[in-house]
Amino acid sequence: MSTRPPYLKIEALSKHYGSMAAVDEVSLEVAAGEMVVLLGPSGCGKTTTLRLIAGFVEASAGRILLEGRDYAGLPPYQREMGMVFQSYALFPHMTVAQNISFGLRMRKMPAAQIASRLEEVLALVKLEKMADRYPKQLSGGQQQRVALARALAIRPKLLLLDEPLSNLDANLRQEVAREIRRLQRAAGLTALMVTHDQDEAMAMADRLVVMDRGRVQQVGPQEALYEAPENPFVARFIGHSNLLRGTLRDGCRLRLGEGVEAQLAQRYNLAGDATLALRPERIRLLPPGDPTPARMTLAVEDATYVGAHVEYLLALPGGGSLILHQPTTGLAGAARLAPGSRAGLSWDAGSERIFDASDRALAAAGPAPALASV
Amino acid sequence: MTGAGTLLAIPSEPSAVPAPRRARSPLKAAMLLVGGVGLVLMLLPLLMTGYISTIADSVLAFPPDGHSLSWYARLGEFPKFGQALGTSLRIAAMATIGSLAIGIPASIALVRHRFPGRGVLNVLLLSPLTVPGVVIGLALYVLMVEVEIRSEVPMIGSDAMLVLAHLLITIPWVVRLCVANLMQLDRAIEEAAANLGASPRQVLWKVTLPMMRQGIVAAGLFAFIISFENIELTLFLISPGVITLPIAVLQYLEYRADPLVAAVVMVQTAVIALLLVLLDRYVRLSKVV
Repeated sequence: MSTRPPYLKIEALSKHYGSMAAVDEVSLEVAAGEMVVLLGPSGCGKTTTLRLIAGFVEASAGRILLEGRDYAGLPPYQREMGMVFQSYALFPHMTVAQNISFGLRMRKMPAAQIASRLEEVLALVKLEKMADRYPKQLSGGQQQRVALARALAIRPKLLLLDEPLSNLDANLRQEVAREIRRLQRAAGLTALMVTHDQDEAMAMADRLVVMDRGRVQQVGPQEALYEAPENPFVARFIGHSNLLRGTLRDGCRLRLGEGVEAQLAQRYNLAGDATLALRPERIRLLPPGDPTPARMTLAVEDATYVGAHVEYLLALPGGGSLILHQPTTGLAGAARLAPGSRAGLSWDAGSERIFDASDRALAAAGPAPALASV
Repeated sequence: MTGAGTLLAIPSEPSAVPAPRRARSPLKAAMLLVGGVGLVLMLLPLLMTGYISTIADSVLAFPPDGHSLSWYARLGEFPKFGQALGTSLRIAAMATIGSLAIGIPASIALVRHRFPGRGVLNVLLLSPLTVPGVVIGLALYVLMVEVEIRSEVPMIGSDAMLVLAHLLITIPWVVRLCVANLMQLDRAIEEAAANLGASPRQVLWKVTLPMMRQGIVAAGLFAFIISFENIELTLFLISPGVITLPIAVLQYLEYRADPLVAAVVMVQTAVIALLLVLLDRYVRLSKVV
């Protein structure tokens, strides 16, 4: 990393409604040209964060610095940020061309310049033939492109996208997502997007910010969030994770309940309550007769063939189920374990993740002693 | 109709199509009936008035001795009605403009802003609807007499006072319709305008007000009609020189009950209908009301 200050810097940004903190000390740095996606369940504060940046909501505390300039107290119309709204928010009484050129007219740009910019942006979103239509005469996908074109036309300092794909048909989403990414890259725009959809976030982001209850849970690229979640929330929210609560003994034995114990692949400097996170596709089901010692043995509840994998539900002590995905590659003809049978499970050192009682991820202290064969 | 032809050509089970239609038809028939009865009930008074205006006798009797349009020809002998119609149109137009000028900004403030006294303002603007017009009229009359005595400025019977009084009953309608209109407008559209660089004033003139057009037209229409047809409040505030059409009709009916009044009403209806048709050229009324 260079010592150059980040393009956008958010410092301990907070928004309180009464005693409730909708956004709680959010800090974030975004480099120029980067696409950062704020991801989280509804009510996690991601949209409020975006609205704070756009200036629609006044912050209770914290700072927003763009190119080193403090944006506190600046009204939305002086921020030069292009926003794409979830509802598109097109002006219903204006044509596509009037919608797109609105921002330019507000800037008192000369007519000739507006015309050429309009032509350029219309070509960019491939809506040249729709210039004289009204929004209600367009399909959802076309309206979305107008909204995007309108935000791009002003050459914003920051592109803000609030759930831009949520009102589109499922089959259009991927296409539009790629389109947004292409335009953002082509224009070299720095962008901040908000979504609750994990796949969308993974597909579009350079980096992700996972939020929950107003706080940033973890910031990082897709791989870091998936491979090294910093807390159980991220482990469950990004992809799927089985979260097994138990008591850690000897640094490598996690007792889950009556007679069930998981032999961990690594040793941890912790004794007491802990949570083990395991991804369904990273757990191996040991075929009967396999000499590999099992790290854990559970009873099969159900097995469903879903195409790419067989989804197993295995009974956990205390009532829950562990989900396991067994790839179907090279599995043709192999017998599936019947409900009721006992299944030995194994996983690699890199696939387990341990969190302490206060939900912090623990670094391994070293490999666990080798398991004795059963 | 090619679609129907294609459908018929397909040799599918023929009973499958008519069955649901038969099941739905009683409901459809009932709805048509209710709609028809409603339409007749609404049109009947107008049709009756039209019919009465063509009766030749000067005393209403059934069956009439004959029909003619002579009452329309005699309208010219009663310039009072013409003057009253002019007064009504003038007062209603001023009350409409006035109530829009007050009601639109008030609605925007009520819906889009939070300020102390907002609840009180809301109640205040809508409350005249809850007081009978006669009571408001009487109260205003007493007030104006008191003020006239003290200030020696003539008030009763002036256009200005009549318009101010009508504002009391037209503003609640304007506010109510504009508030309803504003509430259904996506707030994000105004935010989008601000985001694109429009100052609050530009947002108002270029986005909010144009988007409110239908609500404003509906509000104006209601205000005009409420003012135009008002009797109970107006009754207290007229003077021999300034009389509105409904009052002129009422006064005429006190002494005579001949078809002339029906002719007056028909002319009035025609004037209003003409105004609506003209208005419809600018805004599709079917979308507004």
